[in-house]
Amino acid sequence: MLPSELLAVWKRKGNIWPRYARANGDSLDVANSLIKAYKNHVGEKKSVLKAFAGQLEDEGYEYRFVRGLAHLLDRKSTFKCNDKINPVELRQRIFQATGKLGLATNEERRKRIVETVASEMNVTPQTVDEFLYADLESELVLEEFDPPTPDELLKEYNLSLTQTLLFDSTELRFTASGNWQRIFYAVKRLGLIYEVYKDGKFWVKIDGPASLFKLTRRYGTATAKLLPTIIANPEWTVEAKILWRYTNEICSFKLESWKHRTILKSPQQPTVSYDSVVEQDFAEQFQGLRTGWQLKREPEPVPAGKQVIIPDFSLEKEGIKVYIEIVGFWTLEYLLRKIDKLKKVSANMLVAVNENLACEKLADLEKTAPINIIYYHDKIPLAPVLRYLEKAFQGVQLTQKDFLKNLPVIFTEAVVNYEEFAARIGVSTDAVKAALAENPPGGYTVMPNGLVRKDKLEQIRKRIEEQLGPTGRLHLSDAIRIIETEGVSDVTKSLETFGYKIIWHGINPEKAEVTKP
Amino acid sequence: MIRLWFDKGTILLRGEVGTPYGKWDPRVECYRIKAMYYWDVLAYLRESKLAFQDDVPNLPPVEQLNSTVELRPYQKEALDRWRHANMRGTLVLPTAAGKTYVALKAISLLKTQTFIVVPTLDLIDQWRTRITEHLNTQAGAIGGGEITVKMITVSTYDSAYLRAETLGNKFMLVVFDEVHHLASPSYMQIAEMYIAPYRMGLTATYERSDERHSLLPRLVGDPVYTVGVEELAGEHLSPYTYEKMLVELTPEEQRAYEDEMAVFRLYLKEKGIILKSAEDFQRFIMATGRDHRAREALLSRNRALKIALNSAAKLGLLAQQLETNRNEKALIFTLHNDLVYTISRRFLIPAITYQTPKEERREILGNFRKGEYKAIVTSQVLDEGVDVPDASAGYILSGTGSTREYIQRLGRILRKVEGKRAKLVEIVSKETVEVGISRRRRHKKNTEE
Repeated sequence: MLPSELLAVWKRKGNIWPRYARANGDSLDVANSLIKAYKNHVGEKKSVLKAFAGQLEDEGYEYRFVRGLAHLLDRKSTFKCNDKINPVELRQRIFQATGKLGLATNEERRKRIVETVASEMNVTPQTVDEFLYADLESELVLEEFDPPTPDELLKEYNLSLTQTLLFDSTELRFTASGNWQRIFYAVKRLGLIYEVYKDGKFWVKIDGPASLFKLTRRYGTATAKLLPTIIANPEWTVEAKILWRYTNEICSFKLESWKHRTILKSPQQPTVSYDSVVEQDFAEQFQGLRTGWQLKREPEPVPAGKQVIIPDFSLEKEGIKVYIEIVGFWTLEYLLRKIDKLKKVSANMLVAVNENLACEKLADLEKTAPINIIYYHDKIPLAPVLRYLEKAFQGVQLTQKDFLKNLPVIFTEAVVNYEEFAARIGVSTDAVKAALAENPPGGYTVMPNGLVRKDKLEQIRKRIEEQLGPTGRLHLSDAIRIIETEGVSDVTKSLETFGYKIIWHGINPEKAEVTKP
Repeated sequence: MIRLWFDKGTILLRGEVGTPYGKWDPRVECYRIKAMYYWDVLAYLRESKLAFQDDVPNLPPVEQLNSTVELRPYQKEALDRWRHANMRGTLVLPTAAGKTYVALKAISLLKTQTFIVVPTLDLIDQWRTRITEHLNTQAGAIGGGEITVKMITVSTYDSAYLRAETLGNKFMLVVFDEVHHLASPSYMQIAEMYIAPYRMGLTATYERSDERHSLLPRLVGDPVYTVGVEELAGEHLSPYTYEKMLVELTPEEQRAYEDEMAVFRLYLKEKGIILKSAEDFQRFIMATGRDHRAREALLSRNRALKIALNSAAKLGLLAQQLETNRNEKALIFTLHNDLVYTISRRFLIPAITYQTPKEERREILGNFRKGEYKAIVTSQVLDEGVDVPDASAGYILSGTGSTREYIQRLGRILRKVEGKRAKLVEIVSKETVEVGISRRRRHKKNTEE
């Protein structure tokens, strides 16, 4: 982040953008020459570096840009006070001598004071003059410099510029592709308040307690600190309201990953790690079972009223999603609050509570909780989890069947594959099958894998008939080819519908034939 | 049952009841109330005979205070007025009139958790010393890396603002030293985010050029007592003399000054810009962010001003003055730090700027009080507070056009000591824009922040 006077922006029609530096032309030149200057001036005073930056400004480069880069480079530098002599002690001696001998209002008296102290400290009078203020910032010596590449420097500059603009933000909203646990943890730690809502995507709006009463920049700094965590994702959109300090107008600011990712320094995407052995054990054991449920760590947050729950796991099968939240340490009060929150969740959620750590009686809890709790000791028992999954799956299927019954769909395709259709509308294949078997749309024949339009079947029937040899038989492999070419996967069922039988000659399907009895 | 608790500088109320002060916060599904209305809400709930659980205050333990504060008649009157105004309001007293003592007396009477908010770290030190001396207890401090909360705690405005989320429910009385600062858009949140029902503002310069002092009654209470320098000079403040001394720029300085000013004037003339008011100037400064040539012009003007403010001729005159008045304890004020260090190096006088380490500041001020050091040179950091009773000479080598700065600098040498005659000397470069700046600060109401 930069001092606010170095913030450079464009502003037009209520929108505001930082003046981002591109890694080419003048910007690259300035970055290059500043980095070189710091490299070449190790061992020299900070004032020399400032003078160099001043020269670049005199050459006409934008002063806020030059100073902004220098500010970032200062942070990659170690400045040290020359340690030959302690300036604070030196000054104290000088001022005490002045107190005794009188203010140095003439050259002669000044010389006497300096010489007195010089001999006390066993140094030359020149040293006294040289080191009197050696600890002032401009006098500090550049001891070490960790040089970035020009490209890195410019990306860091762009990020700092963005954060500096956000100092003046009154609210911010964002979407992101992941990293939720860290984002919400940061929101909480920074004393911010969030609201979530769906607007196409899952959006989070951020401001602070006092934002309720008036527009305030109070939470701008905290908001700026949150930004790196948000953009540590592959995809994000960030929108903020900026209360521009010079004119007090409210401007809109927008940042999008597809546009800005490559010019902003982004922290490394942290790898998924487990919070506890319990979680890790559960994940490993569950995956070992090969249940067909896809397990995911740190899924997208689940809205619970205006707040969110970030479950530890999601389990997904055929479009049905179940969340698992593992509660390790808890008090009754904590759990009650959690349950309050969970009541507002419309998704399937299973809460696993550690019984070992129970500090309060659980019996009451079960009565009050209309939510699904299982208890565990050292490991999460898989059986109740699987039971719950099964129940959830069936439950969802049932409701899906109801949903499908009334689904105002008119099929036109010749072949409707259940699996594809289920995936397309986001329900389970079994539910689709069950609903369509019960209530087949007119003009279609129900097959095990899908619906086939009756005229299509007729067409296939005719083609097979044409191919029949003089014996009235056809190789099974030819029949299969004809049926599958038409996009129908239910071969046996089709042949059965047409009234054909398969005649096997041994176990080799190549030799099998079809015929009409 | 209704429950109230403190949440990050605000109060949350849960329960099926609204209040005239709260606002429904859908984010947390509670009523949220500004902390400053805490007592109004309590009164409202009590009047309505509603049962409630109050978890808002989190007060540090009360300690035994032994007050040795004796008030002068005008201080006593100021305190009485404040007490009659329900222990809220601002007292406007000149610098060196002993505002601190009025506040200390108030604390000793209320015997309650008190938060004192001051502009600088030096003032934290000074208040803590006074509290130890006159109330016989150790005060806590927030600021400069220290965080200790005690029954009486002193903080900078910055820390009070930044830490309102955690400190807002710990005090019953807040004293705002140099209360004019409180009216700024960010600092005013201190008043809003603390629950303290009792509030005292102290200042010598109540009014602000931006008129924001009109916000103070709502935040602290009305100005309940005002007395000026003229009314107290002689009896309660040292009598003082003022002298303006003009110096001529050296020929080189004069040439450089004219060259730079010419660049600035030419630009204004070309663009047809007339700079009359502070607003005109603000607009011009904003233009320099967009227009390269405007910035060049501004830089030229600043360089010219710097030549006038830092003229070598001033140092010659200062040398004479210091020599002639060598028995007086002197404070030397400048606008820029460069000049502070030039003077410090040339005359071997201790300097205090924002860069001076905290320990060294203490050491310098301590030795100055004891008389081991005869002079201190400083930029703006000592403008407010920090008393050295027997400092009797003030030299203003450069400053802004602000009346507030002038009054404050003057105040530094006015503390009453028997037989003291204070003397304020302003050294100004002849025939430069500085003459106008000097006139502005002494004659116009122009208390810029």
